[in-house]
Amino acid sequence: MHVFVPNLICRVKILFNFEKMGQKRVSKRKYVNPKLKENKNETEKDVHVSHNAKNSDMEDLIAAQINVDEDATDDEVEEDVVISSSDEEVEQDKVIFDSDDEVEQDEDIFDSDEDNDSEEDNDSDEDNDDSDEVNDDSDEVNDDSDDVNDDSDEVNDDSDEDNNDSEDIQSENSYEEVQEDSPIKSKDDKLKNKSKSSKSLTFKDKTSTKKTAPVINKLKNNKNHKNFDKAQMHKDAHNEQKTNVSTANDEDEYVYDSSDEEDIRNTIGNVPLQWYNEYDHIGYDWQGKKIPKPEKGDELDNFLKRMEDPNFWRTIQDPQTGQDVILSEADIDLIVRIQKQKIPDIQFDEYAPWADWFTSEVMKTPLRKFPEHKRSFLPSKNEARKVSKLVHALKMGWMKSTAEMQTEREKDKGPQFYMLWQSDDQAEEMRRIHKHIPAPKRYLPGHAESYNPPPEYLFDNKELKEWDKLKATPWKRKLHFIPQKFNSLREVPAYPKYVKERFQRCLDLYLCSRSLKMRLTIEPEVLVPQLPSPKDLQPFPTTMFMVFKGHTDMVRSITVEPEGQFIASGGDDMLLKIWEVNTGRGLKTVPCGGVIRSVVWRPNQAMSLIVVAADKKVLLINPGVGDNLITSKTDQLLEIIPQSEIIVSDRVQSAVQWEQAEGDHWNNGVRIILNHFKTVKQVTWHGKGDYFATVMPDGQNRSVLINQLSKRRSQLPFNKSKGLIQCVLFHPIKPYLFVATQRNVRVYDLVQQIMIKKLLSNSQWISSMDIHPGGDNVLVGTYDRKMLWFDLDFSKEPYQTLRLHGTGVRAVAFHKRYPLFASGADDRALIVSHGMVYNDLLQNPLIVPLKRLCNHESYNDFGILDVIFHPIEPWVFSAGADFTIRMYT
Amino acid sequence: MEIESIKKNRLKMKSKDKAMSTNKDHKDETQIQIRFITKQQQYAIPDYPLSVHSSIITDELNTLVNELLRESNDIQDQVEFDFLICSQFLRSSLIEHITDREISTEDVIDVEYVEKHPSPEPKDCLIHDDWVSAIAVCGKWILTGSYDNMLHIWTLKGKHHLVIPGHISPVRAVAWISLNDDNASFVSASMDQTCMIWSWDITKNSVECIHICKGHRRSIEAVSINYDKTLMATGAWDNMLYIWSTSTQEDDDDGESASKRARSEYANKTKTPKCAMKGHKQAISGIVWSDKTEIITGSWDHTIKTWDTELNGIKQEIYGDKCFFDIDYSPLSRVVIAGSADQHVRLYDPRSTEGTIVKARFTSHTQWVTSVRWSTIDEHLFISGAYDNIVKLWDTRSPKAPLFDLLGHEDKVLSCDWSNPKLIMSGGADNTLRIFKSNYVER
Repeated sequence: MHVFVPNLICRVKILFNFEKMGQKRVSKRKYVNPKLKENKNETEKDVHVSHNAKNSDMEDLIAAQINVDEDATDDEVEEDVVISSSDEEVEQDKVIFDSDDEVEQDEDIFDSDEDNDSEEDNDSDEDNDDSDEVNDDSDEVNDDSDDVNDDSDEVNDDSDEDNNDSEDIQSENSYEEVQEDSPIKSKDDKLKNKSKSSKSLTFKDKTSTKKTAPVINKLKNNKNHKNFDKAQMHKDAHNEQKTNVSTANDEDEYVYDSSDEEDIRNTIGNVPLQWYNEYDHIGYDWQGKKIPKPEKGDELDNFLKRMEDPNFWRTIQDPQTGQDVILSEADIDLIVRIQKQKIPDIQFDEYAPWADWFTSEVMKTPLRKFPEHKRSFLPSKNEARKVSKLVHALKMGWMKSTAEMQTEREKDKGPQFYMLWQSDDQAEEMRRIHKHIPAPKRYLPGHAESYNPPPEYLFDNKELKEWDKLKATPWKRKLHFIPQKFNSLREVPAYPKYVKERFQRCLDLYLCSRSLKMRLTIEPEVLVPQLPSPKDLQPFPTTMFMVFKGHTDMVRSITVEPEGQFIASGGDDMLLKIWEVNTGRGLKTVPCGGVIRSVVWRPNQAMSLIVVAADKKVLLINPGVGDNLITSKTDQLLEIIPQSEIIVSDRVQSAVQWEQAEGDHWNNGVRIILNHFKTVKQVTWHGKGDYFATVMPDGQNRSVLINQLSKRRSQLPFNKSKGLIQCVLFHPIKPYLFVATQRNVRVYDLVQQIMIKKLLSNSQWISSMDIHPGGDNVLVGTYDRKMLWFDLDFSKEPYQTLRLHGTGVRAVAFHKRYPLFASGADDRALIVSHGMVYNDLLQNPLIVPLKRLCNHESYNDFGILDVIFHPIEPWVFSAGADFTIRMYT
Repeated sequence: MEIESIKKNRLKMKSKDKAMSTNKDHKDETQIQIRFITKQQQYAIPDYPLSVHSSIITDELNTLVNELLRESNDIQDQVEFDFLICSQFLRSSLIEHITDREISTEDVIDVEYVEKHPSPEPKDCLIHDDWVSAIAVCGKWILTGSYDNMLHIWTLKGKHHLVIPGHISPVRAVAWISLNDDNASFVSASMDQTCMIWSWDITKNSVECIHICKGHRRSIEAVSINYDKTLMATGAWDNMLYIWSTSTQEDDDDGESASKRARSEYANKTKTPKCAMKGHKQAISGIVWSDKTEIITGSWDHTIKTWDTELNGIKQEIYGDKCFFDIDYSPLSRVVIAGSADQHVRLYDPRSTEGTIVKARFTSHTQWVTSVRWSTIDEHLFISGAYDNIVKLWDTRSPKAPLFDLLGHEDKVLSCDWSNPKLIMSGGADNTLRIFKSNYVER
């Protein structure tokens, strides 16, 4: 850009208007053809050469300033060049736009661009101030400059004026006057401003390009745009050459070569030229020598010059150097063309034939190397969606087509009636309606209604009397009229009751029912499944027959000897008590040294052992009841500690240690002690009696331990903690382990070591569970009052959810032989239910709640803590928080 | 003694029925013809039919009979009678009784009257150290077994004579084998899985354990001696029924040397069962010899079985629907009563194979009935002790209500005995043995 600015600016002040646009154009041209830069440099050289020494000095001076100022702009432009080169089309369009009628264009652009306007205004304001100060009488100049800087509206005005009388010398004179009167300083200022404004203009243009896209499109029709550009460039070069020619005879043409530091001819810096008004020089040249002011004649000289010099009208002063410059023919032409609002370039053919950038013809090889996108062949989905919406709306009747709307509107015009009862001709249609009742038919008229009835129908006196008698109750009459005889039909009068009868008929139809409706009445009792009466499901425990008293604190756990002769219980009083079932006698008491949370008798009778969970210890106790031989054998067996070379891992070692009981413990019946690292909440035996599992809910990933009695070894079946484990149970037949966490029950195959099933309880907290002796059904009790019956073959969801208790269920138990299960809860109730499991897989288990036994007393809001069935008899034991165990039979 | 045998709420009934009868007097009641008959000769009255109003009750009949007696026999004392219609005691009004049993009111109804059983009186209370779980009476001696593993011998007068330690577990059953003036032998069965046969020198008051019967594998529940005192049968929790010889001398007919015998003195002391009978599936809780070669056992497996000792097999089975805790057989009436794991006492007839198995059900207890004993002299009377602390005296002809409630025990009644017809004894969990005097009248 910097190449062009001085060229054009240095010419004349007159050109300001034009130049402003020209600059714009130039800059744009530059976007378009950055390659031209080199050429321009060359031409520019020429330009410099063509000026005479003084002029060129001045030129250089001013241009330098501009250059300084415009560095930034330059950069911007350069950047833009880079950017724009990639975006040729757009830039192209912009050029087109510029080349077109500038008046309207600019209007549009500037109006739309307020920000730039305001910026400009500021500039112009300054400008105004300056010019006011400096030169009051140069109104026109000011006006001009204002115009230039303000907005293009005034430019238009000016240009209009110019257009009107472009050939008028008056205007030239005025220009001259301006030239003379306006001091250099002010000119300088203006130049500065101009540079600024040009900057802003470029900026403006850049923005405007974006905003004027539609305009551009419109302008695309102009086929000349390309040609115009080219022509323009040529023209410029041509002009330069011409100028060159005109000033070729100046002696200081080759004094210096300013190709490097082009514009530095006047070195006074950025000072207004009017400061030099009092001096006879206007600045300093490169070597520091004064640049002398060009000689200025007085008015007379001027006049003479005007009279004599045929070139006077085309002589202008270079504001920078003060030199007179004679405009060449080409320059004049240019100015004239601009004033006429024609394209400045003469050679530019506005109506050159249109050459498509992209032809409409299908080329054999595509112009662009990427293939057409697939979606260009596909129908628009978006539109399809919209259409389908409309179609749907039409189908649903939400929307109506215009034709329909029309018919509807027409329909609305007339009065509307509701067809009370379709006439007989539509009976066919009505028959389709279920249980339709046709409208009652009127009786056909009989002989009595004839105008000429047989004489026997006519009333005699007696009948008339009767008719009169029934006046109060006319509906009792046989006929509702008196038959009358007329000689001819002509004599028959109008029927007086016609309207009344019609109305009655309408009422009848209106109030009549039109179709038979069958109402389906379902009694709620029918929906309830037929459950057998509890009487038919005997035997089950019905009454309390025994209370085992002896504990001094809550009884937390009970267990029954497999034979059913004894039970063992333990609780908060840290004592294990063994009771005789049939008498309720406490036979033995074993102190366990900890709160007993779980007591389980060994299921296999080969050894007599009870496993007791007392706080962190698990005790294996030989109760010494039952078969003497077995108890003594058990003792013998447990005296020997089996030796094994298997090294116990640290993980297990830190979780549990086996210890042989000695001393008092041994005498009390304790045989083996397992010291756990956390409180043991539950213990359970495997059916064969060699393995037992212990549960420590706080043990995280070591919360379940499986202990082998014969080898005195413990294993940790799980590496990962699946949650707070509540209880575990061994499957009665298969090698499965049921693990109940707070919410779910997981079933693991211990042989394959995989999880087989996960039962979802859908409840907050599982408290206990028991497995049906068949192994296919699991009963789970939860603290949120529910009991869940899971059928393992059925689903992982509960087969049935029983809400029998008012509070959290503490314990659930199945009977081993009878189809019974029981549950105990904090509401003190022990609920015995019938739970029949059929061998037939198609038949679902039958669950019938049978009996609610509520004999325990509440203690600290605890009711029943454990429930267990007698192994053989249909008796159930419940351990209560009221220190007792109760037996129901 | 605070013990009192109160009459069944008869008094109450009396007053109530009187009130009712007075009401009914005003109405014209249907008359029923009855005829009084009796088996007691001293109270015989002429057997002509009498017409009474249908709502007549026992007391009115009683006064009527007494009137008739006074007329005929000059007996002046008031005698209380009970009236049997169709071999059932009249406990409600006549018409109700008749309609219940569907007897025609057109016929003359035979009303048998018997002298009322006099109420037993509490006689004594023998205090033990622990629960009294077994009682046996023979002659003037009472043998009791207790839960403190001891055997006690008392006189009928209530004097403590002897305490015998020996068992290491509670004694569950005792029985006398023989009793002479100066020598006696008895057997005790205990939860320590042994039976001990003791020889008691009365004059020296020294007791010696002659034999320890080992064989049972769990606690022994019942023991019974046969009629000629040569055999005893024991039942235990190991489901086995063992028969042992009771002879104090080891009747080994093989000629073992004396030295060998001496060497195995202890071994001789231990006795092995003569025969073992398997059949029950659960504990045998009651055993009684019904004949020389016949044993009836009651078990927890809901069956009563009749065994033949000669064939060593089951002769007959009766299936109940509850565990049997105790049975007794009466040679007089040849029927079995059984106490089971509910409130009822049931009467079974082992001979009958038809009809309902339960011949009668006696319901009045509120808890398990754990011991039943027939009267040795009356075919209709028996006693039952239950966990509701009451011993009841029953007549088989009155199934709805017992004759008497023998109150006194403060805890569960564990055992009872009526082998001495004059004395009803019961031992309980209140550590006492209660003795009631039964004023039996010969009929």
